Amino acid sequence: MKKFDLIRMALGNLWRRKVRTVLTILGVLIGTASITLMLSLGFGIDQSYRGSLERMGSLNVIQVYNYYGGGYYMEKSVSVRGSGGGGGGGDSETKKLNDATCEEIEAIPGVQAVLRMLDTSVKFGSGRYVAWGQLLGINPEAMEYFDFVVDKGRLLTENDTTAIVFGSDVPRNFYNPKDRRSNWWGYSQDTEPSVNVLKDRLIMTFDMSYGEPQHSPTEGKRPKRYHVEGVGLLSWEGSMNYSWYAIANIDYVKKIIKENERMQGNRRRNQETIYNQIKVRVEDLDEVVNVQNAIKDMGFQTYSLNDQMVEMQKTSRVIQAVLGGIGAISLLVAALGITNTMVMSIYERTKEIGIMKVLGCLLKDIKNMFLIESGLIGFIGGIVGGVFSIGASVLLNKFLAPALMGRMGYGVQVDKISIIPSWLLLAVVVFSTFVGLISGYSPARRAMKLTALTAIRTE
Amino acid sequence: MCHSKYFEIIIFRLQVIEGSDNPLQEVVSVKGQKKDAEENIIEIKDLRKIYKVGNETVVALNNINITIKKGEICCFLGTSGSGKSTLLNMMAGLEKPTKGTIKIAGWDVEKLSEKKLALFRQNHIGFIFQSYNLMTFSNALENVAMPLIFKGMGRKKRNKAAKEMLKAVGLEDRINHRPSEMSGGQQQRVGIARAFVAKPEIVFADEPTGNLDSKTSKDVMDMIVEMATQYNQTLIIVTHDLSVSKYAHRVFHILDGDIDKIEVCS
Ligand SMILES: Nc1ncnc2c1ncn2[C@@H]1O[C@H](COP(=O)(O)OP(=O)(O)OP(=O)(O)O)[C@@H](O)[C@H]1O
Ligand SMILES: [Mg+2]
Repeated sequence: MKKFDLIRMALGNLWRRKVRTVLTILGVLIGTASITLMLSLGFGIDQSYRGSLERMGSLNVIQVYNYYGGGYYMEKSVSVRGSGGGGGGGDSETKKLNDATCEEIEAIPGVQAVLRMLDTSVKFGSGRYVAWGQLLGINPEAMEYFDFVVDKGRLLTENDTTAIVFGSDVPRNFYNPKDRRSNWWGYSQDTEPSVNVLKDRLIMTFDMSYGEPQHSPTEGKRPKRYHVEGVGLLSWEGSMNYSWYAIANIDYVKKIIKENERMQGNRRRNQETIYNQIKVRVEDLDEVVNVQNAIKDMGFQTYSLNDQMVEMQKTSRVIQAVLGGIGAISLLVAALGITNTMVMSIYERTKEIGIMKVLGCLLKDIKNMFLIESGLIGFIGGIVGGVFSIGASVLLNKFLAPALMGRMGYGVQVDKISIIPSWLLLAVVVFSTFVGLISGYSPARRAMKLTALTAIRTE
Repeated sequence: MCHSKYFEIIIFRLQVIEGSDNPLQEVVSVKGQKKDAEENIIEIKDLRKIYKVGNETVVALNNINITIKKGEICCFLGTSGSGKSTLLNMMAGLEKPTKGTIKIAGWDVEKLSEKKLALFRQNHIGFIFQSYNLMTFSNALENVAMPLIFKGMGRKKRNKAAKEMLKAVGLEDRINHRPSEMSGGQQQRVGIARAFVAKPEIVFADEPTGNLDSKTSKDVMDMIVEMATQYNQTLIIVTHDLSVSKYAHRVFHILDGDIDKIEVCS
């Protein structure tokens, strides 16, 4: 028998029992649509989490801390410690987060760049205005990997010394200490900053009383004043994590810190710099966990948004599994529906099948005809179910997503609650066809085994 | 019975079926053709069929020995329950005998697997039923073309053949009618067209006129016999109607599962 004839006959048989066929297809539709929609909700939740995390920062970045206990506050109050005062709680055996360690981390496979972060409090002055500031020394060549995005000017280069790139909030910190109406906590978002950090002459110093009306007495010599030059201003959106910082070349920062300590009478030689925190960028998102574990094994505490991602994914998987399970059950019911329809069909067609056999129809053709019928029910049900779920998904996104805004946890932004990737549609159609074939298999075998004789005898 | 003759026929059949280009086939087939006239197309030996219903056994066929030649028109005549249908069904491979052998067109019918049986029916036999047994949802054309569909013939070719057959049985104006839209006589004519469409060597007919009045019966019988004669086809008719048996070359009287007597008509 030709394939085309088989399919034509199968279609004819389905068409003859329109109502039952349609009802069975409806069952499959409900099954496939619920699986598709349930999974699409899972994907939507996943995507929302991921999107929100990406807005918070790069998922590829691991933060490494030198101390125990600290949470994931990025802006820990940090001070520069000498080697003696290293990581609270860590014993002397523990590795220190120094340059040698940084190089070791850089050598871990998959690591793209390491950002060394050394920060200290300084005061800036420009004409009448002064500002409290946090100076952050970093290795300029790593800048491009860690979300430093300039709004104006440029990033740092390796040859920079007194060049400074300002975080977006720093310029507003300038105030006139002699003017009662302006002070450092009273700056407003709206008014233009009093100092143009890119153009005006700038002075930087460790002397915290610089420019203030009353000078607090200092023990050692007065800290030096450095002439610095603003070369760039970071954008707020792109570099949220650095908005409070004044960023300079780490070599320069190390140099002036040493100079200052020497002036303050601290004479310990060859002090090694210990970083409180560094950031590591991993090239491939899938490698983050491995690299993070490698760093943990070295004895450091780490944190990455990926941690949070993994947690969220776990939650999302559970939700998907539960929702998918509900869908699977409805498809199972649909499968039973297909089997039932096919069995009914055999009872009705006993005579017909017998005649076919007497006329010389091959058993395999009879079996295939039944399989095609049940497969078609699954296939059509899958397609209609897919179309239906696309429609339902659009409605969910339109009406349910806004209602869910902000209810899924802090900072999670929901724009699409249901996402149906095209591979899912394809997979569902293939799967429901498969379910149709499976459900039709035993009825098809039964039809095949009917004897032609009983068919002829039934009047 | 000469056994070497059997052997040649079997070889001939097998090679025709396998369609081999073996030059030997030519020789054998020439031999086969020579013997065509006297070829035994059906040979039944010691055939016995016992049904077991609960503890009781019913001897439907006791001991049947028959040989039928190609082109012969045979009639099995007998009262109800004598075992006529049982015999026919076993010849068509629809039932397995309890004992004995059935050889039809070189095939050992009782030994055939289901798949071989289907091929056997496709290629060698046609069937006419008392209750027509047409496909209720198909029209006359589709019904007649059905055996050709199962043989895997293309749509155009089979529809052409089916139309010709319908024309031959005088139903060219009923091509698109469904069985429910035709009279019993018309339905049986569709059944005849279907049985002959594949040009089988043997056509079985179980009470072909059982549901028809005497006038229509005559038309139908004329038609069946004419067609069978035209292509030198063997015709096996089961009936309890004496007027039907008049068409036969030989009439086998069946009584309680045995052949009572064989009547040879001129
Ligand atoms: N499947 C079966 N199971 C048990 N007994 C059967 C079966 N088929 C036939 N028989 C018995 O075998 C005997 C012969 O039956 P069969 O149908 O061959 O008769 P028939 O000659 O065709 O009769 P009719 O002219 O009424 O059609 C009957 O006694 C019948 O009861
Ligand atoms: Mg009978």
